[in-house]
Amino acid sequence: MTDNTDIDEQLLEAILNRLLPAIGEVPAAGQMKLVPEIIRLSGRQARFQNQFSNALRVFKSTNLEFRSTTVDEQDDAIKAFEAEHPELFGSLLTISYIVYYKDSRVHKRIGWSGRTPQPDGNEMEPWDESVLENVRKREPFWRQV
Amino acid sequence: MTVTRRIDAVQNQKLDMTISNDTSQKIVDILVIGAGASGGAAAAWLAEAGFSVKCLEQGYWQDPSKYASASKDYEFEMLTNWAPDPNVRQRDEDYPVNDSNSPITPVMFNGVGGSTILWTAHTPRFHPSDFRVKTLDGVADDWPISYDELDEFYDLNDEVMGCSGINGDPANPPRSPRQMPPLPLGKDGKKLISGFEKLGWHWWPSDSYVNSQRYGEERDACNFCGHNHMGCYQRAKSSTDLTYWPRALRSGATIETGARVRRVTTDELGRVTGAEYVDSKGNERRQRARAVIMAANGIGTPRLLLNSVSTAHAEGLANSSGLVGKNLMFHPFAMISGTFPEKMNTWQGPLGNIAMSQEFYETDKSRGFVRGYTYQFQRSLGPAWIANGGFRDPVPWGKGHHDELEKRLGSVMAIAVIGEDLPEEHNTVELDPELTDSDGIPTPRLNYTLSKNSRDQLDHAIENAKKALKAAGADDIYVDPMMRQSGWHLMGTARMGNDPTRSVVNKWGQSHDVDNLFIVDGSVFVTGAAVNPTPTIQALALRTADYIVSNRQDIKG
Repeated sequence: MTDNTDIDEQLLEAILNRLLPAIGEVPAAGQMKLVPEIIRLSGRQARFQNQFSNALRVFKSTNLEFRSTTVDEQDDAIKAFEAEHPELFGSLLTISYIVYYKDSRVHKRIGWSGRTPQPDGNEMEPWDESVLENVRKREPFWRQV
Repeated sequence: MTVTRRIDAVQNQKLDMTISNDTSQKIVDILVIGAGASGGAAAAWLAEAGFSVKCLEQGYWQDPSKYASASKDYEFEMLTNWAPDPNVRQRDEDYPVNDSNSPITPVMFNGVGGSTILWTAHTPRFHPSDFRVKTLDGVADDWPISYDELDEFYDLNDEVMGCSGINGDPANPPRSPRQMPPLPLGKDGKKLISGFEKLGWHWWPSDSYVNSQRYGEERDACNFCGHNHMGCYQRAKSSTDLTYWPRALRSGATIETGARVRRVTTDELGRVTGAEYVDSKGNERRQRARAVIMAANGIGTPRLLLNSVSTAHAEGLANSSGLVGKNLMFHPFAMISGTFPEKMNTWQGPLGNIAMSQEFYETDKSRGFVRGYTYQFQRSLGPAWIANGGFRDPVPWGKGHHDELEKRLGSVMAIAVIGEDLPEEHNTVELDPELTDSDGIPTPRLNYTLSKNSRDQLDHAIENAKKALKAAGADDIYVDPMMRQSGWHLMGTARMGNDPTRSVVNKWGQSHDVDNLFIVDGSVFVTGAAVNPTPTIQALALRTADYIVSNRQDIKG
């Protein structure tokens, strides 16, 4: 198993800036100091951690000057990586989205409570049998044998 | 006592094995392999009837209070450590499955409760016609039993598992009342249903083994968290660790967890004598038994039978027909999602327990295929799940991401297609010649191709689902023509029948070859119907257990 100790944090931040740009009062993801959480979370499963670390390593190996290129060139580089290595790119995108949407600034912007699903759950209106009025009129149509 | 034994292992493997610490000098009446949906049901029935029962389960007990739905990392955990695909999850207790020759990946869970830990607990029954497909439609084979013969066991299973639902469904035969009223439909469910109503198509609130009110032992009502597919924190979703196993244990049954079965053992006459296994500390062990019940699912059971070669069973245990591992059926699963213009908080409520439609369930040959399909209505979850695709493609990154996320969040609903897959002998579970689990036990390789009939079914279903979504007001309709990670329903690989040359077990789940070997999981299915199979698996397991109680008192020590 690899670990995340060799992750180029500045490169990751530059990629995050292109994946999730600024909107409203929320800065681009690379400016939100999400990298420590990305590193922590990706380390919770060896398989994922390997894939994610490998994604960054492969990306870096083919994009040595990424941080110094224009944003259009950066987008092109990410698109090329996505096309060439969809599975590796998938791990990078997945963890980026998960950590971005854990952030309270993002929650505030999109109106998301940020609660974990449990223990509080959600409220629903109770079952109302009147909804069956139409379908109950139908004759049985299961196939007799 | 130490027993050293050399086994000519399958697939050219030689395995030197030292079995130390023969776990139990005590011989049990019944050894159950697998503590999931069917193993739990059979074990409880038999233990309550006075049989001594031991279960070997390669996974462990789960603590609902530690399920990931209460963790701040739940969205990551859902895709990794709690993923339904064992090849993705990769826990120590999982075994790898070579799925490179299958467009559908296996989905299962190893632990007490088995895959009922992660299922959505959508629990429709087979139709009477599902047991007679050869007679009615000239395809596959009829089952050696009928719907009516299984009906009382469906009812018994409902009582133990606890069913929320309501009578009067015109698509299904009349049946006993459910234990609880249906789960609420929600604004989102009603919206989707409106499309079916406009088209005049059948729909009915889902039967679910999810408590709509308090039911069972220390099991609360659902609190609509939306994440019971990663274990139910509320204990509202029925899983056999909460239902059958407490009953079984109270009646004296035992479970050894972390116990990975290497092979089922036989004597010189070919009758089963127990199993050899690796315990949680890595020790080779043996458990003797007067009878063995296989309950390791439609992949795990043929794997173990094929691993259990012996002089008397050179091609694998119970395999004189050559059909162990053949006729693998899934339910090929298409997913059609739509985005509605209004916000409906679609994360509120169980993900897949809203309603179903069986408008196109029974055969209509004018459609160009035989048999049919069920639609299962689906919600969607929170922002990270939506961003990563959920039931469809991920939200694009970069410019436009935020607008698209905003559009989808709380507004995506989906229709899942569960099509009836017919048995074909070339669809198989076999032993991989190289791949093993961490204890060196050969693991399964799947070979599966989708039939034209199944593809035609799915295509028909996709077109009609689009109509229903549009009628309900959705736009931006997205089609996944066959989900890859959808091998929830593992069936057919040790089929039931009256002819020993064309089946592995008889109508009681008893091996044709070995009279003290029984199979109770989805392996025994002759055909797969077009519904989630677990109530049928459990009803069959209860029926087999009832047969043993009534007819095999010789097994009781």
